[in-house]
Amino acid sequence: MNSALQRQLRRSAKRTSLYIVLVGILFIIIFPIFFLFSFSFMSDYETYSEWPKPLVPSFKADFKIDKDTEGYHLYIFNKSENDFMPFGPLFFSNSEKDVSNLRKFIKLQANSKITDQKIEEYLRIVDKESKVEFSVRKDLLANYILFFQVINGAARAVLNSLMVAGATVVIALTIGGMGGYAFARYFFKGKNLLKLSVLFVRMFPAVSLAIPMVIILARMGLYDRPLGLSLVYSVGQISMSIWITASVFMSIPISLEEAAMIFGTTRVGAFWHVTLPLALPGLAACAMYSFIGSWNEVIAAVVLTQFNPTFPVVVYKALVGSQGQINLITAGSVAQAVPAIIFTLIIRKYIIQMWGGVKV
Amino acid sequence: MATLELVDLAKRFSKKVWGVRKMDLDVNEKEFIVLLGPSGCGKTTTMRMVAGLEEVTRGTIHLDGKDITDIPPRDRGISMVFQNYAIWPHMTVFDNIAFSLKLKKMPKAEIRQRVQETADMVKIGELLKRLPGQLSGGQQQRVALARALAVKPKLFLMDEPLSNLDAKLRVVMRTELKAIHQQTEATSIFVTHDQSEAMSMADRIVIMKDGEIIQIGTPDDVYFRSANMFVAGFIGTPPTNFFNIRCSVDGEEISLKHSNFKLVLPLKDFSELDAYNGKELVVGVRPEDIAVDSSDKALFTNKVLVVEPQGSHQVVALKLNDAIVKTIVSADQSVKPGDSIGFNFNLKRLHFFNMETENRIKTASEI
Ligand SMILES: Nc1ncnc2c1ncn2[C@@H]1O[C@H](COP(=O)(O)OP(=O)(O)OP(=O)(O)O)[C@@H](O)[C@H]1O
Ligand SMILES: [Mg+2]
Repeated sequence: MNSALQRQLRRSAKRTSLYIVLVGILFIIIFPIFFLFSFSFMSDYETYSEWPKPLVPSFKADFKIDKDTEGYHLYIFNKSENDFMPFGPLFFSNSEKDVSNLRKFIKLQANSKITDQKIEEYLRIVDKESKVEFSVRKDLLANYILFFQVINGAARAVLNSLMVAGATVVIALTIGGMGGYAFARYFFKGKNLLKLSVLFVRMFPAVSLAIPMVIILARMGLYDRPLGLSLVYSVGQISMSIWITASVFMSIPISLEEAAMIFGTTRVGAFWHVTLPLALPGLAACAMYSFIGSWNEVIAAVVLTQFNPTFPVVVYKALVGSQGQINLITAGSVAQAVPAIIFTLIIRKYIIQMWGGVKV
Repeated sequence: MATLELVDLAKRFSKKVWGVRKMDLDVNEKEFIVLLGPSGCGKTTTMRMVAGLEEVTRGTIHLDGKDITDIPPRDRGISMVFQNYAIWPHMTVFDNIAFSLKLKKMPKAEIRQRVQETADMVKIGELLKRLPGQLSGGQQQRVALARALAVKPKLFLMDEPLSNLDAKLRVVMRTELKAIHQQTEATSIFVTHDQSEAMSMADRIVIMKDGEIIQIGTPDDVYFRSANMFVAGFIGTPPTNFFNIRCSVDGEEISLKHSNFKLVLPLKDFSELDAYNGKELVVGVRPEDIAVDSSDKALFTNKVLVVEPQGSHQVVALKLNDAIVKTIVSADQSVKPGDSIGFNFNLKRLHFFNMETENRIKTASEI
């Protein structure tokens, strides 16, 4: 074997093993998220009675009804067994009560909606042909709806969370943005030290600060109120915003502002007409960080709220307090992620916005 | 169309750093002034003070007789072209040019007309809808120019507007700028450190060094009557050659002795040199004033070190006593490195400088 070939082989072996490792890591990261989503669309039956789990949740449930001397029997198709398995009551009659109970059971266990009339119709077919097979469309969002019905104050908590995150973004961006602008544009003694010390507030874990925060907020009359919580979040978010916006403003040449001042604006006007629009993508990214940061926060929120919890607190408590009900909790978790995802998608437009690739 | 007066203007950035030490300058109406000087001499600082972007440490600025030293940039009636253009990347070319007009609340139709007019003047009339990122460097430069022209300023400042362009475009823009100036007749100050740009565009050149004005004068003034050795060495490519000589007056003649040659001049034309009898002084000779002389009247004969052909002419470098002397020779003469060639000076174009002060010694023979 010549050395060139050897080298090539070694290189491709190296690369292949790198890819294997990378793909492995990707799976470790992606799979939990994937299953989170997948579970949130599964019915109870799918969650607990099918193993191995299907990769994607099904969109319908297949049923079979047959009949013997005891009465009617209901079966559901189990994908991992690849066969119909007994489902629901041992046997039932075609009385109105039994049919209505069956409907409720199907809805609860298989997340599928079927009417009493439809069931009676199927039973008549069984009477004639001894068995019937049918499929019912699955209600994909059943878990989500159930979550908000079952968990007390979940909807209110979403509203609270939105208020907290919104207020945090506004506070962090205005104060942090002003600080960042000052750091980017002005020279003063001890500037670097001050800039570094801004990060100081982020060095303490939220829990250790939470108790004093409770006392302070209670004195301010802001305990258990969204505004109070957003003030607490703002402390950390402002310092991060200062760093992000400072670098955003630094990347905008000061001569663009000076030009604006020569061509008719005041200093504030120059900021308004020139710097702000140019900084928008960076500020949007900064807003996104603040939003996600405060939207997902749990620890401080648990301590600082009582009757007005934020949504992550509700999900967290549901998770801790539930026995099983995995599919329900995953629905809550996904519901928590959705606003952050939507916010990111909205803001993405600004983040990837480029001014025609100009060198400024 | 305005006059500008800088009186004792100075800018000190910190204890040790002076941007400008002292500037006294009167700019006349419609004049095109070029600030010229080596890097760091304070050209940009001067412009920024005039524009109002930099606070002055000392001195005053008068525009049309009005003291504008302390008024904000937007109220000065000045416009500026920045070295890096500084056009706003998020606005279309139209919006860039219209920016100041919109702020002045000019009627829409009038704005459109003015923008089109100025854009046509700098030949970007077709590009108004584009973003600056979609333009070439030269086009961006024109946008910056149009933006500054649209204001119809009293005073038009340009800080090295051509320095980012390639050599060819630069020469083209030079001509266009000059034409635009003649059309608009706006008083202009133009900064450059390219001296051929300065020579070709200026009504008057202001030569600066270390934050101070060294000489103010027409291109001819600074070229033919350089105020000191710095100016003589700075202006002209290749720069002036300097020779240290000893001067001795001998009856009606002055002889200037260099280790390689001896110049004999009539005293009546150079009577100012009388005072330097027995002293040393510096003679400056521009490259084009050193001519090849193959006759036996040649002042000195020397070996050619290097020949640099330039097309229209060639630059011939000699080594004279460890000093490099450069001369300009017409293209049709064949000169090769190593040739021994005789040279002569154009005696009407000699520059004399005091050795200590480095200042020019004026002589009657000056043109
Ligand atoms: N903001 C500033 N802070 C401190 N010193 C400065 C500042 N701006 C300029 N200087 C100094 O002032 C001096 C003059 O600078 P200036 O920019 O006016 O030079 P210039 O003539 O425009 O040079 P160039 O041809 O390189 O543009 C330089 O020594 C420079 O270092
Ligand atoms: Mg400069």
